[in-house]
This record gives sequence, structure tokens and C-alpha cells, in this order.
Amino acid sequence: MSTATTQRPTGQQAAPRSGPPRLTGRRLAPYAFVLPAVALFAAFKLYPIGWSLVLSLYKSVDGTDTFVGGDNYTRLLHDPLFWTALKNTAVILVIQVPIMLALATALAVAFNSRLLRARSLFRLGFFLPMVTGLVAYGVIFSVLLNEKYGLVNWLLHFAGIGPVPWLTDPLWAKISLALALTWHYTGYNAVILLARLQSIPAELYDAAAVDGAGPWKAFRHVTLPGLRPALLLTTVLSTIGTLQIFDEPFILTHGGPDNATLTIGVYLYQNAFTYFDFGYASAIAYALAILIGILGLIQFKVLGDKS
Amino acid sequence: MDISRRSVLRAGGALAVGAGLSGLAACSGSGSGSGGGAGAEGSATKGDITVWSWASPAAEMKALVPAFNAQYPDIKVTVQDIGNPAIWDKITTGLAAGGSGLADVMHIGIDYLPGYTEKFPNGLADLGRLGADTYKDAFAAGVWESAVGRNGKVSALPMEANSGGFYYRSDIFEQAGVDVKSIATWDDAIEAGKVVKAKTGKYLLGLDKPASIPDAANFFQMLLQLQGAFYFDLDGGITLDSAESVKAMTIIKQLNDAGLVADLSGGWNAQIAAIKAETCAVLPMPTWYGGIIEDTVPDQKGKWGVRLPPAVRRGGSTAATVNSTYLSIAGSSKQQAAAWKFVEFVLTRPENLVKIYKDKGIAPALMKAYDDPVFHTPSEFFGGQQKGEVFLDALKAPSPAVNYSSDYARALKVVTDAQTKVLLKGADPAEVLKQAADQLAQQTGRRVVR
Repeated sequence: MSTATTQRPTGQQAAPRSGPPRLTGRRLAPYAFVLPAVALFAAFKLYPIGWSLVLSLYKSVDGTDTFVGGDNYTRLLHDPLFWTALKNTAVILVIQVPIMLALATALAVAFNSRLLRARSLFRLGFFLPMVTGLVAYGVIFSVLLNEKYGLVNWLLHFAGIGPVPWLTDPLWAKISLALALTWHYTGYNAVILLARLQSIPAELYDAAAVDGAGPWKAFRHVTLPGLRPALLLTTVLSTIGTLQIFDEPFILTHGGPDNATLTIGVYLYQNAFTYFDFGYASAIAYALAILIGILGLIQFKVLGDKS
Repeated sequence: MDISRRSVLRAGGALAVGAGLSGLAACSGSGSGSGGGAGAEGSATKGDITVWSWASPAAEMKALVPAFNAQYPDIKVTVQDIGNPAIWDKITTGLAAGGSGLADVMHIGIDYLPGYTEKFPNGLADLGRLGADTYKDAFAAGVWESAVGRNGKVSALPMEANSGGFYYRSDIFEQAGVDVKSIATWDDAIEAGKVVKAKTGKYLLGLDKPASIPDAANFFQMLLQLQGAFYFDLDGGITLDSAESVKAMTIIKQLNDAGLVADLSGGWNAQIAAIKAETCAVLPMPTWYGGIIEDTVPDQKGKWGVRLPPAVRRGGSTAATVNSTYLSIAGSSKQQAAAWKFVEFVLTRPENLVKIYKDKGIAPALMKAYDDPVFHTPSEFFGGQQKGEVFLDALKAPSPAVNYSSDYARALKVVTDAQTKVLLKGADPAEVLKQAADQLAQQTGRRVVR
């Protein structure tokens, strides 16, 4: 990403080595330090990941796990609910993520501007939603967006707008979900973009100004190209996050009404913990992982630095 | 200096390695924890046991602990209110983890019990082994059978047996000039609802139209059970698009199309708010809900009445055991004998169940409890009616066995989606139920009975 240069030692430190390094004493220390983290990672990440691959090849019949090979995966291809979940997730990905990233870019530029007073206060304000617990903000949104007793409809009422069925109409439920996600993650992305923005040399803007570029041209030809690596990062992170989205639809709408906000994450949860179908849930998890991998690759190809 | 620093590093590293390994060992220890059923029975008179339940039943069991301790002073009981539906996820996770982290005693609804026993055959202890068989004939008809798995194991002892009820605002019906007693079928109810709506502006009843919580299909299920039908037949075949199902969904569509259904999206809170706001004339809810109404709106005393629901077809049944709950003991519990003493104490002593009924209106499954006068005295809240006897009649009526099966949760989901399509988009009942049945078959590998 960045081109920070590592200072190469020019002195005499690079003494010639004799023979293979011995794993004793001082050489052992770094391994000892790394081992606990590796052990915990293996126990709580690698093991479940591997075990869920095994699980995805099994089906529980009368309480005993039976090997069914790829059955869970072929079942997935013919499951209309999985496709509904995939479609819903894709819609959020295609509509919400670009809007959010455009907003985040605009915010980052504003945060960076010297014209803005109390910049740190604004940065804090927009980043704060990220710190809010997922469940807490889900509950707050469900209260705000309640059709009969919610604050939002109460305020709209004064503007002469009738009650909006935020969470109970299939289309509005999707919009509510997108709103909640945007509120939660825009500031986070803006901060990443801002960090990158600050590394763009001021001389480039000076040169652009000398060449007669206005603010818009400077933004297009200096800011945007400079932001490219950070935009790639936020796009990839948002894609991964969106594909795994669970908390918001689970708390706001339970995936409803009529599966309008059913996401892959919620469907996976339902299969595992409501239907006790852990094999099928694991297959969904792996399908999701493959999907994320493919989309990530495509984004790197399209947005990545070709040089 | 250098040496000492090195030894400090080494010691630190060794400590860290130790911590890492012990973490790993702890993890593998819990991962391969006893697969359930293997737990020792422990002492019957001594030990610490934990009980999981929710809301009112949790509070009632907690209140029974001092009386229990008078007899078993060395058994320490901790009753935890896990909340409903959170308790189901918690039990599932525990069972899937081989029983680790589960309470000794767990309060389980009939809708979840077959799923647990079929998917986790050793997850719940065999109460027959602990002495439950002696109570086989003590409970309401049908509820014992539901608790006995296909392998003959007694997985749970019945606590509540709730029948479908029809709680109504007598003052609203009076104002509309409709005689509640004359409503014999749900078709009559639709006609009565139209009059009520025209004269008083009140809805007949309320439903969670977008199914914001999982039990939005309770009303549909009651209409099915009134016809002796369910989502599955006794062999496990799918009967979701049977004539009875279509009839039940058609009633819901007719009610909705006539503008008689209030939208109670938001689940429990919305319903409680609707009772306070006097939105609906009728609450088609089971026995236990009477206690909730009394607690929620004590000032509406005398304005309420209760009867059994209208039949679906003229001359049909008005009795249906719509939900029952049980107490189970975890197969992994090391205190099964002590846990059994508590379960036995709560569920087989009439005086305890009578107390629970008096406090919260929860209907006991133990038939002997109904000898108590409380079930036969007029209720002031319900306009002097003998509420207890209304439901006792339903409990005594022949009750067909209901096969919830291990796929009840999936069935409930497709049914709720179908109902939402009917309520929000005016979909055709027969068509959405056919789709639902086909989808359930695709998901479960069960055949559709047509």
C-alpha cells in the first residue's frame, strides 16, 4: 500500500554467519512469545474453521452424524431461501456500499479541510457510531423506526408525512437496514480515508493550482488517485462486512417481512441454531467464504495498483 | 546483566507457553465434554442445582424454593430467568456442545422438545430411570405421550397444559349488540367482527402481520388444531397444504380483507400496548394468557369474558391443547438425582401448581391440581365466569396427538412467511401453502401428503 522505505543498515552489523542457527537461548525467545498467540489462534480459529469444513460434509440423522459428501452443497444450489438471502445481500452490497463510501469520501475531505472549525470534534462525532455495540444500536434503531411509537415517524408526522412502515414493509425494511448500516460504518470508513488523505503531499495540490485546476479538478486528478489504495481497502472491508452482515437484520427485522431482509448470515444462524442443522449451516458458511474470496480477488484486480 | 535479562525472558516465555497450553487444554476439555446421558446421578439430598426458565414460571419456581428447602435443606436451587425465546438458543448451543454449560433443570416448550430429543438423543436425562414412570397417568391426556421419545425414554415431565381460549371484551360486544355466546364458528366470528367494527371502531383481533417475532403463526396453528390437524401427520409427512390448513389460512385472509385484523407488529410489546389501548375486542390466546391480561390491565376488571374458541366448521371441536411446557434434566448434569427431586416437587404436588395458577394463571398439566376450589370459583376479573372450568372442559375433551416433529422450527418459518404473504400482499392461501409445503419438503427431505 504505502511505499515507506525501510532503512537498510549500512554499518557492519551484517556479520557473516557460520552454520545453521541454533534454537537455543536467545533464539528461542521470539518463538516462546509467539507461541501463546499461535496456540490460541489454532484453538479458537483454525480448529473451528477446519471442523466446520468437516461438518459441512455431514448430516445429522436421528442424532448421529452421517457422512453425505457434497449433498449439503448441492442442496444449497437448489434452496430458494439461500438464493433469496444471496440476492438481498447483493442488493445491500450494490446500493448501500457505494453510497456509504461516497459519503465517507466527502466526509474525509471535509474533515481534512482547514476551513472546518473544531475538526476533531466532528471526526469524533462521526466515528462514535462505530464504537456503539451492534446489539445496542440495533435495538435503538428498532425503537426509533417503530411504525406506531417510533421517534422518526413522530417527527415525520409534524412534516405532514404519514406513518412510514419502516420495518414492516419489505421495501422499507431493506431501506431501514441500509440506513442503519450507513449510520454505523460511514465514520469508520471516513477515518481510514482521512488517514490516507493526509499522506497526499501538499505540493501536488500547489502544482495543480499553478496549472489552473479548480477544486473539482484537483479532487478528480489529485485526491481521488491518491485515495485509491484506501478506497480499495474500504471497498474490500465493506464487501466482506456486508456479505457477513448479521446483527442488524437479526435485531431489526429477524430477516422479515417474508424474508425481505434475510441475509446469508441470518440464514446460516437460523439453520444452525433454530433448525439444529449444523452440517447445512457449515456448507452455507463455506459458500459464503468462497464468495467473499472471489469478490475480494475481483476488487483487487479492478481497483488494485497495477504498477 | 545480559544473562539475567536472558533468563527473565526465558522465564516469561515459559510462562506464556504454559498459559497458551493450558488454554488449549481447557478448550479441548470442554469440546469433548460428556456427550450427555453419562452424567453421574449424584446425591438425592445434597447438591447445587440450577434451573433455567423464563418470566412468570421462573418467578414462580423461585418462590417455591423455600418450601422445597424445608424438605431438602441441603439442595441449593438457583432459578435463572433466561427469557423466552433466548432460552432456546442457549439450550441448543449447550446441547450441541455435548451438554456443557447447561443448567441441571430446563423448562422446555413442546414445540422445541422433539427437536432437542431427536437431534441430541442423549442430551436430556431419562426421567423414567429416576422414577418419573409412576406419574404416567397423573397428567392431562396427550401431554405425557408428547414427552416420550420414539425410544420410550421419558425426556420431560409436563408442567403446563394450555388450551386455546377466546378472551373477549364483553363491554365492547355489548356495545355492538352482539351476543358472544351465539358465535359458533369462525365464519360467525367474521360476521360478528364486522358489526363490532362498524359499531365501535374496534378490530376483532390483532396479528403480527410482518411476523416480527417467531410466534406470529400461533393463531393459524390454533385454527389448525381445532380441526385436529397440524403441520405434520403422525408419520412425519408434511400436511401444510391440507384442506384444514387452507381453511385456517382462508379464515385469516377473510378476517384481514374485512379490515378486522389490527397489525401488532413488534410482537409481545405491541400486543400488551394494544390491550392497554383497547384496540381489539378478542384475544384468541391460550389459558396462561388470562393471567397476563389480569396483570396488564387490572382496571379493566369485569369488562372481560372468556370462552372456548368458535369451531372452524359447524359442530366441530372447540378444544385444542395448543401448547404445553415441560421440565427436563440435562443428560450432562452431575446432580440428576437432586434435580429430579426439585422437578418432582414442583410438578407432582397439587398445592404448588395451584399456587402457580393463582399467581400467574398458568394451567397445570397435573390433573389432581384441578380438585382445588380455585378452578371452580367465579373470577371477578372475567365477569364472574368460572374461567378455570372453561379450560378444564377443554382439557378433558378428547385431544388428538400432535406430531411437532424435529422439523417444527422450519415448518413454523415457512408457515409464518406464507401468512405474511397473505396478510401483507393478499396472496391466495392455497397457493402460498402449497409453496410452503414444497419448500419444507425440499429443506427436510420429508414427503408432502396430498
